[in-house]
Amino acid sequence: MVFAALASSLAAQQISLPLKPNSVRFAAIGDMGTGDNAQYGVAQRMTEFRQKFPFDFVIMLGDNMYGGKQPRDFEKKFEAPYKPLLDAKVQFYAALGNHDTPGERLYKLFNMNGQSYYTYKKGNVRFFALDSNYMSPEQLAWLEKELKNSGSGWKICYFHHPLYSSGAFHGSSVELRGLLEPIFTKYGVNVVFSGHEHVYERIKPQKGIYYFTEGASGELRYGNLRPTEFKAAGFDTDRTFMLVEISGDELYFQTVSRTGQTVDSGVIRRAPETQPAKVVAAQPAKARATQPASRRMRARTTAQRNVQTVAGPTLR
Amino acid sequence: MRLDAQGQREDSGCAMKHLSRVSRLAACACLIALLLCLSTARSDAQTKRATEDSPALNDFLSRVNAYVKLRNDLEGSLPALKPTDQPEQLVERQQALAKKIAEAREKAERGDIFTREARKEFRRILRQQFQGPEARHARKTIRQGEPLPQMHLRVNQVYPEKVPLTTVPPTLLLKLPPLPKEVAFRIVGRDLVLHDVKANLIVDFIHEALP
Repeated sequence: MVFAALASSLAAQQISLPLKPNSVRFAAIGDMGTGDNAQYGVAQRMTEFRQKFPFDFVIMLGDNMYGGKQPRDFEKKFEAPYKPLLDAKVQFYAALGNHDTPGERLYKLFNMNGQSYYTYKKGNVRFFALDSNYMSPEQLAWLEKELKNSGSGWKICYFHHPLYSSGAFHGSSVELRGLLEPIFTKYGVNVVFSGHEHVYERIKPQKGIYYFTEGASGELRYGNLRPTEFKAAGFDTDRTFMLVEISGDELYFQTVSRTGQTVDSGVIRRAPETQPAKVVAAQPAKARATQPASRRMRARTTAQRNVQTVAGPTLR
Repeated sequence: MRLDAQGQREDSGCAMKHLSRVSRLAACACLIALLLCLSTARSDAQTKRATEDSPALNDFLSRVNAYVKLRNDLEGSLPALKPTDQPEQLVERQQALAKKIAEAREKAERGDIFTREARKEFRRILRQQFQGPEARHARKTIRQGEPLPQMHLRVNQVYPEKVPLTTVPPTLLLKLPPLPKEVAFRIVGRDLVLHDVKANLIVDFIHEALP
């Protein structure tokens, strides 16, 4: 009985990422800073998964700290839950959410270096952390300039408010989309990560750009996803975090629930500059959870052969 | 021959008619394009006027700059703060700066920076924003944050750390005067706030500015 439970737990924690040499590996979390058990549960699962998928850094999609911002809050809502990761020298790169305060920009462990929007490079990937609470003309001009000079590698933007969302509570940030999307398409942004809506969602590619919402790494709006024409996959019944690996022109992603279940996974292949990337494969959670490991791998391999397959039935 | 000639004439008549229809269409297109250009230029000019050519807003910006000079001098009197992993330092520093500014502006009142003339201009811009074609999305942007508790603002008040920030509609930011990085516009309920970013302090505000 114990053995069966252990086997099931290990199977649940299976990594679907290829672990290629010299790949860029990171995790993505959003809306996590509650300081409650759920945040700690997700953090613990991240630490466990890091044993098998040693990611080097974490992108934080905003609402890094809810409520108070006193020193004890930094401890309870960030330093304590992620201590094993911080001890292992994992770097955190934060974007600000509407529950954050500008003072967090100077918190060294958020790596913002005093700026509310900034850029950095890891391998062949250029990251842009934006402040979607205050998308000033200055920030837009900065983004355009930085994207223009960012070369031909992967371009990943992340910020708090999702441009597309099937969440019933907030929904899409349409006004922000009107300003950002033309810049993203003009300068070839490949992937965008956001939070704010307390669910996980993957959006069908929009104008060649892949959008993910990961806003359930601490908070959760249970059952909040509704059907939309742009939803590719979603999960709204437990907390989640994302694991991402980029190697050459491929970006692999795996979204994991607090219980260690993989709720979505797939590969985005970056096409030559002017063409949109394509998702090669993805697995819905329920299918994965009910199939034995060998069948799961087979299903994924079959899907990978079909390079035109745009994935994933929605989970709800 | 006649027929041919007639045919040719007819053809050429058709061609002439076609040409004249084409030229009429082209003329219409040109006119529409011209009108669009003029309207864009007019709208640009309006925006420009709103931000640059308005004496009231220029005066507002002068007052903002005077405030920024004061708060920068005060900040300079505090030990320099670099990014730190000690949250105590962040909190203490913010409190110290807010206290210094509040002391230096002890007699500051609502309307010192948002003067009566400036308020008129801001209300005009806000009315344009929230009653124009972008109104629906701008209102949605504001509603996308969590509902705020009832807040009675006052000058020199520290913005409560537990209250989330309302996202300022980005299309509105395109119309408002550009601010130095030390301060930002915020929306609290229907109030438009001038917020000191580092000190987390309310510098001034327009009560019920949003229509």
